[in-house]
Amino acid sequence: MSVTRSFKATDLFKFNHINLDLWTETYAISFYLSYLSRWPDMCAVQETPQGRMMGYVIGKAEGTGTERHGHVTALSVAPEYRRLGVSRRFMAWLEKVSDENYRGLFVDLYVRCVNFAAIKMYEGMGYSVYRRVREYYSNLGLGHSVRDEEDGFDMRKPLPRDPMRRSVRSNGRDIVVSANEVP
Amino acid sequence: MDRQIRPIYEALDTNSNKSAILACNKVLKKQPNNLLVKALKALALVRSQKVEEALVLCDEVLAAKPADEATLAAMMHVLRGLGRHMDMVTMYDDAYKQQPANEELGTQTFFANVRIGNWKAAQQIATKMHKQFQDEHYLYWNVMSALLQAKDPNTPETLRPVLLKLAQRLVSQSPTPSYYNADRFHLHVTVLKELGLYDEAYELIESEAGKIICSQFLMCEELRREIWKLKGLTKEAGERAEQQILEVKDRNWLEFLAVLDATFADLTVEGADVESAKGSSSERITQTRELFGKVVEQDGVKDRSGHLALLELEKRCRHHGLATDSTTLTSLLESYFQHFGGKACCFEDLKPYIELEGEDLATWTSVLEKQTAQATSVPDLWRFINAQKLLRYNLTEAQLTPEAETQRAVQCLNAYLEGLHLGKDLPSYELQPADDLAVLAAQIFVNIWKRTGDQTPLYNAAALLEYATTKSKMSYQIRLHLIRIYRLLGLPSLALEHYRGINVKQVQNDTLSHFLLSRASTFSLAATGDITYTNECMETSRIYVSNSEETSEFIVRAFGGEKYSQIPDFILFEECLDNSLQRDLIKMEHVRMRIAHEAINSELVDMELIELKFIFDRLHHDNRDFSILANYQPRCGASFIDQTESLEKTPGFGWLWVFLKIYIKAFQLASDLDDTVEDKLLIGDRPKPSNDPETKLPLKERLTKRKQEEINELSSDEAAFYDYASALSEWLTPYHDYARPPPSVVLAEAAKLTEQKTGHTLKGLELPPDAATNGNGKKDEEPPAVVEPPASISKHFDDVLQRFKEVLDGKAVPFELLHVVTLAQEAYLLFAIETTRFKTASVIKQNKFGGLSQHIKDIRNKSTAVINEMSGALLNRAESEATQESRKAVIEACKPIIHESGLDHDFVLNVAKKITDARKQIYDGIGKGMAKLAKTYA
Repeated sequence: MSVTRSFKATDLFKFNHINLDLWTETYAISFYLSYLSRWPDMCAVQETPQGRMMGYVIGKAEGTGTERHGHVTALSVAPEYRRLGVSRRFMAWLEKVSDENYRGLFVDLYVRCVNFAAIKMYEGMGYSVYRRVREYYSNLGLGHSVRDEEDGFDMRKPLPRDPMRRSVRSNGRDIVVSANEVP
Repeated sequence: MDRQIRPIYEALDTNSNKSAILACNKVLKKQPNNLLVKALKALALVRSQKVEEALVLCDEVLAAKPADEATLAAMMHVLRGLGRHMDMVTMYDDAYKQQPANEELGTQTFFANVRIGNWKAAQQIATKMHKQFQDEHYLYWNVMSALLQAKDPNTPETLRPVLLKLAQRLVSQSPTPSYYNADRFHLHVTVLKELGLYDEAYELIESEAGKIICSQFLMCEELRREIWKLKGLTKEAGERAEQQILEVKDRNWLEFLAVLDATFADLTVEGADVESAKGSSSERITQTRELFGKVVEQDGVKDRSGHLALLELEKRCRHHGLATDSTTLTSLLESYFQHFGGKACCFEDLKPYIELEGEDLATWTSVLEKQTAQATSVPDLWRFINAQKLLRYNLTEAQLTPEAETQRAVQCLNAYLEGLHLGKDLPSYELQPADDLAVLAAQIFVNIWKRTGDQTPLYNAAALLEYATTKSKMSYQIRLHLIRIYRLLGLPSLALEHYRGINVKQVQNDTLSHFLLSRASTFSLAATGDITYTNECMETSRIYVSNSEETSEFIVRAFGGEKYSQIPDFILFEECLDNSLQRDLIKMEHVRMRIAHEAINSELVDMELIELKFIFDRLHHDNRDFSILANYQPRCGASFIDQTESLEKTPGFGWLWVFLKIYIKAFQLASDLDDTVEDKLLIGDRPKPSNDPETKLPLKERLTKRKQEEINELSSDEAAFYDYASALSEWLTPYHDYARPPPSVVLAEAAKLTEQKTGHTLKGLELPPDAATNGNGKKDEEPPAVVEPPASISKHFDDVLQRFKEVLDGKAVPFELLHVVTLAQEAYLLFAIETTRFKTASVIKQNKFGGLSQHIKDIRNKSTAVINEMSGALLNRAESEATQESRKAVIEACKPIIHESGLDHDFVLNVAKKITDARKQIYDGIGKGMAKLAKTYA
């Protein structure tokens, strides 16, 4: 339960409690504004009845032909609002927008190979690993093996326009590509 | 040609500005009038910070009125780098006039106006472009520009409806309907909304196409809700929401609010017959309760909305006197707690509903008190944490005795240590589920300090939080608490350490830096050459430069990509950051540190004077994030953030205004610049003064205005400093005004300096032929008679010394001691700033200021003695810190929290060592800095 609304530029003044988190990056202003100036319909916020931001999602639409899809660039929920279905609502919403507004075939996202909680959550929502992207992230110094910490999974979920599930595969974890092979 | 130019671009692309300049020079040798190369050289110069040289080239290129795209593009970057947006507009205007058929030039001219928010011109250009090139998007540029002009505060009231009607007429002329594009549609509805044409707007959004757009685009859906509200469709919105909740299972809280608003709609209509409205509402209340009950039944613990909506319904019933059963509220609360007490958000959810009294409170309290600390699972633990927060919220004055509070703190701490077991297998970077118990315990200790004045609880809070931060390394909440407490305890190095641990980045520098930099000059060791805090101000302020360089580009991009819905927000964002209160609070702190660190000469004085005057014309926005700091203090008292505010006064708009007045006045006295000189020396555009009518008054009048609401934001010591500063400047003004060299002399001097530096004369400067040689000519008037300084100036230093002795021996927190000391130092420096002119023997002689010189000397001797005495006492105090005894005192204070394992004696000893070392360092540094300044300015 929350208020879902569009993400606004001035929300950058209010997202501290969400962004001061190990897995969440605070990017330059230009990052957020470049998304808002191209895909404002793929950026959203959920807030509490008291008006406090619980989390946000920033996405984009890319690819052509059978590669046309929605992409989740950033999704983050403040620790105190986790386990309330906030992410699930964001993802369902983004899937709807990718399908209806952009006629996408699937939605994809990147996640650190060591962010086990997130991977499990996305799998629960119907996402699966499409490939492993080598050295996609910077090292966090958490003490995992360097490779696991820097590699990312590209996870995908097919949308209704891909009824044959051509955009996913079962052996994705074994397919390894380097970071410069992905967009 | 291309062969010669390419290397220049390549060098620029790789940021090799030096080789770019060399490559340009090579071409310019053969073709001295090549405009493009001149422009590129100017760009390379701007990027290498050689502004004066760049200016010369820049002006040459502009004078030639360039019209080719390459030169224009290069110049765009040059002018942006120099902050000369007005010139950019002129440049493109001229070029477009030369080639009116050039669509790209038209577009760039439009964008140049967009960058500076010149909507009127933008609108005219869009009109012209639409006529000429017929493309529909120019029509919408026109509409958007008209709308923005109508909303601009500088637009006269009478013109606004005219512009909005123009916008409406333009949209209706569009060959393709606006609903083919969500953003055009959004703009169309917005124009109708602004005109108050709600019926037309309603028709549009409820059309077949409109409905689809609203379902697909959140921003349009938000506009739909607004229009419904403006049309007064409360009941209809309620019915629609009910459908959404039941049929689509929408759990958007806005739908529940719509149902609630509809339920009480009859009662909120003005002038309604209350009795009959109550009757109809009662019926609806029953229906609504059934609806929400159904939702609760369906959702169970899966979703909170139904449960929370029932609470909100009951709250509103009580508000309207329509509650039928007095036990409903407490039983709903109990049920909510049972269902969602295991979630972190429970406390925040329930806070609006628990301001209870009497029997209600007793029932509710007994429910919460049943929750024991024995936690076998994380939700169990959360239930206990929530119960503690909820109980604490309703504690009364009488329940807050130091004994009871200590007991509560220890109870929370014990539960915390116990609760750590639940997270013992978590990776080190995860947050411990028990964290909030440590935070609670710390807040309780702070409350005890606040109520008794005894500082020992603060050490308990610090030590237990230090322990918690070793368990939850990534917890910003624990670190923010430590920063607040360490600042009170006068430990800037430790506060900085934790601030860095939070890893504040980008725009967060604006919203979060107040935690570190509020009144940061209190902690600065700049006088000793340690510029840690000064640098922190500089680093933090970088975000404002990237905002002014980048954000307007996205406004341009939003026009280019026709994302009209984003434009007003981008503009607001840019403005909030550009005119950020925190930005200028940091600037003020930086100035206060700088004068202690650097030689006070004309370079410093002139530059700061110009910058502070710009700031004085701004209308500030406060973007600081205070809500991020948790508050678990009882509602009968102050919040945690207020309790830990240095001196209980948060610097805000008024505080900034007072300090601006003090320093502008002081620098004005010390400076030789007057307005005419300043205009000549200015490089970038002069910022537009804000719309505040105050900015229209003469500066002199504004500077002397004293406002009580501003003074209310000052600590008592700052208020005394303000009085002193006012008296000092008032006394010295006539002598400065008389002795200041005339503008022509000042300009001649500036011109000479520029020429030495660049080999070129200052642009647009025509000096009277004799100005350069005439020197400080004889004045027509007699010099003002020297009068005695007001006694308050000298007395200020007596008072300060008295205050110092009080806080040194009293119970005040160390922050207060440092505050008194650094303000004394500041008063001393202000005196130095305002009397430097009279140190020159020739000035005294020429103006017959012999008597003045003696007065100044008297005050200087007196104040130097005071500064030296304070410095000595502080250095003595520093010696007594960082000893075994002082450490022992901290450990003794922490007795209530020391445990056998983990948070044990050794751990606390380490914290004690850190604290006492840091304390010694700051006392020692400030003391030595003062002694040094006293030597410099004696």
